[in-house]
Amino acid sequence: MNALLAWSRRRVGPLAVFALLLLAWEYGVWLFGVKEYLLPPPTKVWVEFLKRAPTVMDAAYVTSRQLLAGYLLSIVVSVPLALLVARSRFVEESVYPVVVFLQIVPKIAIAPLFIIWLGFGFAPKVIIVFLLCFFPIVVASVAGFKSVDPEIADFARTTGASEWKLFRTIQLPQALPDIFTGLKVGAALSATAAIVAEFVAADRGLGYLLLQYNGQFETAMVFAIIVLLSAIGLAVYYAVELLERLAIPWHVSQRPAGVTGA
Amino acid sequence: MRGGANPSGSSVNIAGVAHEFRRANMVTRALDPLDLTIAAGEFVAIVGPSGCGKSTLLRIVAGLLRSSAGAVEVAGKHVAGPQTEIGIVFQSPVLLDWRNVLDNVLVQIELRGMDPARYRDEALKLLAKTGLAEFVNRMPRELSGGMRQRCAIVRGLIHDPPLLLMDEPFGALDALTREQMRIDLEKLWLERRHTTLFVTHGISEAVALADRVVVMTPRPGRIDRIVEIDLPRPRNKETIASAKFSDYCEEITECFMRRGVIQY
Repeated sequence: MNALLAWSRRRVGPLAVFALLLLAWEYGVWLFGVKEYLLPPPTKVWVEFLKRAPTVMDAAYVTSRQLLAGYLLSIVVSVPLALLVARSRFVEESVYPVVVFLQIVPKIAIAPLFIIWLGFGFAPKVIIVFLLCFFPIVVASVAGFKSVDPEIADFARTTGASEWKLFRTIQLPQALPDIFTGLKVGAALSATAAIVAEFVAADRGLGYLLLQYNGQFETAMVFAIIVLLSAIGLAVYYAVELLERLAIPWHVSQRPAGVTGA
Repeated sequence: MRGGANPSGSSVNIAGVAHEFRRANMVTRALDPLDLTIAAGEFVAIVGPSGCGKSTLLRIVAGLLRSSAGAVEVAGKHVAGPQTEIGIVFQSPVLLDWRNVLDNVLVQIELRGMDPARYRDEALKLLAKTGLAEFVNRMPRELSGGMRQRCAIVRGLIHDPPLLLMDEPFGALDALTREQMRIDLEKLWLERRHTTLFVTHGISEAVALADRVVVMTPRPGRIDRIVEIDLPRPRNKETIASAKFSDYCEEITECFMRRGVIQY
């Protein structure tokens, strides 16, 4: 409860600034007579959103599902792969360079290929989200799994413990802070990835809707969707951060406050 | 006071052990062939300049490093891989950040597949003896460097190993903490009499702690001289201030001056 209070106290400042910005926006638009299709005031965005809420929320559901599936897939693939890279010289020298090379290929550019291969549905979007989130998680996790101090490793070897036990007791907990860093970077990318995937080709979802409204100069709806998308991205990010707090309190509390908006 | 007092301490027999590091086409001779026998329960300090291979020797004895030549026996058994009948302490405490002091000590027990609950009291006792009674629930980051190192020493001792290997364990500590740790370590050793191999570059620290001080030459390391320290234990303030104590220190310092390690 105290933690919650402290948390909300830290949030007061940014929220106040945010509210002020909204106010300035609202009255700025009115004061200078800016046309609505250029920059609608926040109240207009809200009203328009309420009018089309069912459609938009359906689209949000579609997009969130793609986003979450792609993100989870990237975690499930990246972390074990990182462990392999960290533990096997062979994998590090043969597979890792290929992973790095694939990262250099602009993934947005290959996105249309997935449409050819997999059609317009769920799968190509999941793959694109996966591709974008995958790399930061792998890189951070490899660093994490490799961060065991050589002297800790020496000490551990003198205990005669099994590899599995050493992994559980030392290597995994040691790697968690870095893994979570990767997961947070991935989470922040996932919303972008989901939208880009829908821009390429889609017949539903927030990305699809956004292009539709944009084409019809329904600027207020464009704003509504941008806000909604940000909210989804933020929710994923904070879910990961919450998980981090639960999993590695010893690390979170030693980090200087405010570094990751904590 | 010479060894043999403890039948549970391991003897160590180092025969013709030499080591060279190869990197690319460079071969660095770290240790020249070296013989040393340590009796069960004996406290031996190895003193030498940086890079003389004293840490290398300790790692070879621990079975963490394969020597290029020669063989090591611990308690009569040939060392072929990492030894488990030892306790090991390094210059940095290398604690696990996510465990409190007590659990950092007990990790030794957990990793050995033994029941930590049965060692809890012993751990608390040892921690109290090293001045950490009030800190058993603290996390490593909340401790000073000296406290962390004490915790690491207790971790190295909790399973009552017959052989304790210490690689410059006080190297990163300030002089006052060092002195207290030295006193505490001797106390623990007097109680338990585990064979101890203590690597340091502190001459007076070696003389104050050891039954014998092995003086190494600069790289490639060889044994220059072995000095028997015939001083009563526990080595208190008077012992340290005695003429005999400074004579031993003098003798070792002169070894280093002869080799050009120390120049005036």
